[in-house]
This record gives sequence, C-alpha cells and structure tokens, in this order.
Amino acid sequence: MQTRASETLLRRTFLLGTIGGTTLGLIALDPRQAAAANVTLLETGSSLLYPLFNLWVPKYTAMHPGLRITTQSTGSGTGIAQAVSGVAQIGASDAYMSFGQLKKSPGILNIPLAISAQTVNYNVPGLNDKNLKLSGPVLAGIYGGKITKWNDPEIVKINAGLTLPDHGITPIHRTDGSGDTFIFTQYLSFSTPAWGNGVGYGTTVSWPPVQGGIGAIGNPGMVQACGQTPHSIAYIGVSFHDQIAKAGLGTAPLQNRAGNFVLPTPATVGAAAGALEGKTPPDERISLIYAPGANSYPIINYEYAIVNSKQASPEIAAAVRDFLTWAVDPSGGNAPEFLDAVKFLPLTPKIADLSKRQIAKIG
Amino acid sequence: MHAKPFRIGTVCLAALIPGMLIAVVLFLALYSWPAIQFNGVGFLFRTTWNLGNLYADPVMVRGMQVPIHAQYGILVFIVGTLATSAIALLIAIPVSLGVAIFIAEGAPPHLRPTLSLIVELLAVVPSVVYGLWGIAVLVPLIAHYIAPALNAVLGFIPFFAGGSPTGFGLLSASLVLTLMVVPIITATVYSALLQVARPDKEAAYALGAMKFEVAVRAMLPMVRGSIVGAVILGLGRALGETMAVLMVSGGAINYLPHTITTPISTMASFIVSQLDSAEQDPTGMAVRSLAEIALVLFIITVIVNVIARMITRGLHVGLASRA
Repeated sequence: MQTRASETLLRRTFLLGTIGGTTLGLIALDPRQAAAANVTLLETGSSLLYPLFNLWVPKYTAMHPGLRITTQSTGSGTGIAQAVSGVAQIGASDAYMSFGQLKKSPGILNIPLAISAQTVNYNVPGLNDKNLKLSGPVLAGIYGGKITKWNDPEIVKINAGLTLPDHGITPIHRTDGSGDTFIFTQYLSFSTPAWGNGVGYGTTVSWPPVQGGIGAIGNPGMVQACGQTPHSIAYIGVSFHDQIAKAGLGTAPLQNRAGNFVLPTPATVGAAAGALEGKTPPDERISLIYAPGANSYPIINYEYAIVNSKQASPEIAAAVRDFLTWAVDPSGGNAPEFLDAVKFLPLTPKIADLSKRQIAKIG
Repeated sequence: MHAKPFRIGTVCLAALIPGMLIAVVLFLALYSWPAIQFNGVGFLFRTTWNLGNLYADPVMVRGMQVPIHAQYGILVFIVGTLATSAIALLIAIPVSLGVAIFIAEGAPPHLRPTLSLIVELLAVVPSVVYGLWGIAVLVPLIAHYIAPALNAVLGFIPFFAGGSPTGFGLLSASLVLTLMVVPIITATVYSALLQVARPDKEAAYALGAMKFEVAVRAMLPMVRGSIVGAVILGLGRALGETMAVLMVSGGAINYLPHTITTPISTMASFIVSQLDSAEQDPTGMAVRSLAEIALVLFIITVIVNVIARMITRGLHVGLASRA
C-alpha cells in the first residue's frame, strides 16, 4: 500500500509536475482544516462530470457550512489514479475500473452517480437536418479506413431516400484519453467483431491509420473540428448538445442490438438503462453499451465516482458519504434541476439503491 | 578568511545546475528501465503505438507483465518532432533576421524601443494562446486557402500535393511553432546587432556599402555566434513545445506523414495526450514507455545542440582559413 502510493506519487511528480503536490499543499495549509468540523474534499477527473459537480457543489456546500469541495477537470484516468493514491477523495470517471486495476488497488469503489449518453454527429452539407442513419459496422468501417466515401454502398443501403455526396469522409477521434472514446469503441467492439478483435476498446485506442482522419482535444475540440470541416464525423458527449446544435451538426440515429435506428432521447436512453438494470452487479462495474431492447439507444454509460473505501479520517469519510448519498438521491443531486442542464438521466431507483449500498462502505 | 564561505557557497550553487540535469536524466533512465528492456531498440523504429487491452488480464512477455497486444513504437513522433521543428526554423530564421535588421537599422530610431518591446512581448505569450489562435484562425486558413494554393502551385512535388480537408497537420503545427520561435530569435539577434561597434559600421560605409550591404555583409557576420545561439534557443522551444502543437497537429498515430498537410504528433505533445490513459494501465508499462519517450526527446535535444555547436565551430574555422 505504502510503496504503491509512493510510486504513484513519484510518477505524478515527474509527469504531471506539481499539480498534485500543490493541491496537497493547499489542503494541508488551509487553517480551517485544523478545526474538526471543517473538511475539505477534492474531486478530480472526467471532464464530462465536471459541469455537473460544479452545479452540485455550490448548492450542497451552501447547505453544509464548514465543508469545502474543490472540483477539477483532469480526465478520467487521472481521476482514477488520484483517487487510488489518495490525492483526491472523489475521482470522477466515465469508465469503470478494470479487474487488473482493482486487483492492484483493492478497496476502491466504482459508484454510478448518473446516466450519460453519447451522440454521433456529422457535418455533411445539406444533410445535417436529415438524420442520416449509421450503424456500428458502418462506423467501424469509417474509423477503420474501409469506408472512405459518404456514398459508400454500406451507407446508402441504410439511408434509402437520401442523396449522399461522392465525397471523402473525415473521421475525427479524441487525441486525449477520454471516457467518450471508451464508450464509442465499446459500441464498435460489441457490434462489430472484427473491430473488437482488432482495435478493441479503451480510453485511448491504437486508431487504424485513416487517410485524412484527425484527432481533436476534448469535446469542445470535437465540436469545433467537426463544425469547421465539411464531410467530417465525430462522437461527442450528450452534455454538449447545445454546442452541437449551435455548430449546426447533424445527429445520427444509431442502430441498436435489435436492429432499429434510434436517436438519443430520454425515452431511448431510459429504455437502454432499464434493459441492463437487472444485470448490474453489486460492484456496479458494467458496460451499458449496445443494450438489448427494441427502443434502446446503444451508447449510454454510468458516470462513476471512484472512491477509496478507506478514507484518511472518519470526518472525511463521513463528508464523502453524506455528499455522495445526496448526489444519487432523486430529491438531491439526481433531481432534474441539476441533471437537465447537462442532459444526464437520473439513476433508476434500483441502481440508486446499489450506489447507496456501496457509499455506505466508505469508512 | 571571508573568501572561503563565499567560494564554497558559489561552488555549491554552480553544482546545482549540472546536478539537477544529471538527476533528471538518471531518474528518467531508471524509471523507464523496464520499458527500455521491454521495447528494445525497435522502440525507435516501429510506427505502431498500442497501449493494448487495459481491460483484459495482463500477459507475461519476455518476463514482464504487460497488457495484451501492447506495443510501443515512436518513429511517428520522432519524425513529427524533427519535421515540425525543421520547417519552423526554415521559415523563422530568414524572417527573424529580416525583422531584427529592420528594427536595428531600418526603422526610425524613435520607433525602435517600441518595436523591440513588441517582439519581446510576443516571446512571452503562453503557448496555449498560440494554440487557440491556430485552431480558430490558422487551421481554417490552411484548409480553405493555403493548402489548395500549395497544391495548385507546387502540386507536381508529391510532398505539397493533395490539399488538406481539415487544416490540422504538419503545416499548421510548423507555422504555429514558427510564430513562437520568431520572437525568440529576433530579440536575441536584435540585441546582438545593437552591440556592433559604430566604427565597424562606418568602415563599411566608407568602403561604399549601401545600408542593406552594411547590415547583411558587415553586421550579420559579426554577430554570427549570437545568431547560432538564438537559433539553438528557438530550436529548443520548437522541439519541446507541447500544448500549441497538440491543439493543431491533428494527433496522428500509427502512420508517417507523407505530405506537408498530413496530421502528425510530436513527442512532447504525445506524452501529454497519452498520459491520462496510460495511468489506467495496471502494469505501469504505458507510463514507463512515456518516460522513455521523454528520455529519447532529451537525447535528441542534446544531439541537435551538439551538432549546432559543431557547425558554429566549423564556421569560425572556415572564416579563419579564408582570412
């Protein structure tokens, strides 16, 4: 435990400079820390969860004087690593931890806080309001370099009635590590065995070389690159719905496991979540991608808080427990006043209950 | 009596710099040692970078635990680093010399302090600002005008052919680097030109030289050493630049650039972009391989600097023998 923590710290000192150290220093120097009633928590990680935490924290800390919660948008991988090393009390991640990571860090909990979805967006002049249909195998073909033109027979076949241009496709992927890449490549892997056996899935994958394909940084970078590049395609977190609309991008109905093409709406995202609710294990590490059901939207996921079940002190543990319990409660952080702004869906009652059971383990 | 503590103090402080340098290299080497063993020499020559399946159980390869399918090759990033820096310097050196000569000799004397202040201000603009400008202005400009123009005029050379549908790539990264390097070289050369003695300039005028000839044939050779130093400074910034390049390079992985508009990645920007995912590798090999990239980048920087210094020495020898 000690050596792992110090090794992670060493890594961080070297590669991330003094970010972690500074944060630690700030917490340690905070004079209010001395009083037992005052607790400072650090939340760091997923840039998709960051806006939600920023809605939660002011409301929650206003109700709990003496508690301070600092939020940071650093990326899911950093969120997990800092929750494990103890720098952060709450790590935010779009992806659940692997068995390998858990084996290395037993006692780390993966707690769903809300349900998110992802849209596949395109910029094909004249067709952006036409809801061009796409499927997993077609997307795997585009991102794998086998489908290079918009009028490829594979795309024409599922879009009867649309006139598709004889123009090259520019697939845009995320350059930085991203939960969005994780769920997008899971959709490709689960729907297209060739992709699953070859490239596979992860927060970063070894993208096949595609003529003209580019990488972009963050969801804002994806929206901007897709918006200013005609004939491009990108995958973007649903929280960016407003920016996507402003950039005038088209949103593709995606083919689900049942073979139907569905757009992401509260109904289709809810249907997918409902379909896998019963399969969610007590540790809640499960992919919600490519869920069964005629009306299920295929790219949705739990947004996770990564938390060490053993916190530094009973006061900190209690503060984390109380905050997370409030966050997953339908009358607390899962209320529409918070989730609607970022286009997330609340946890279903059964999943909220599983999350609360995990939260109770924090000590 | 009083000299001794002072002497010891300064020696200690002086030793701090080489000491830190050695510590950094030593740390990089030790930390990346498992990766160096796993990757072998092929690390430098392979074009595939694959973190492997981080969600499957790790496998044993050559006695080391690594994620299944993991393979680390950085030729793409070495080429990207050297190509962007070379193109940036190719454009920046003549531009910077021209600007420096203009400020020192051509501009009205009362404007000189203002102009040199502007150049120095440009040198301290944070790189992320250049990156944002690159995305918002330069990238669309390349996609819509510069790349099609290059294709039309120089398209018979394959390197300039093809245009660019997106604007992200080698050219955009190089131009952003150029913009960052020009102020550094200009400021250094300008302050060197100010040091040229008045009698030397007057001697050149006395020989009948025009203003341009004085600057190019008399003054520039005198500050040759400063020019090389300035170029090395600029090159250092270009080789190590991270954020601005990351934002406009198109983040290529697994293939080498074949035209000036192909997406690329540089070593520094790639380390940053991969770090978050590498943290999720339970075997730690991904982070250690990133450390190995840092080590290689350091070695390349040293080699490039040594070569540059050898060129200066060659210049001095060449001139001496001519005289």
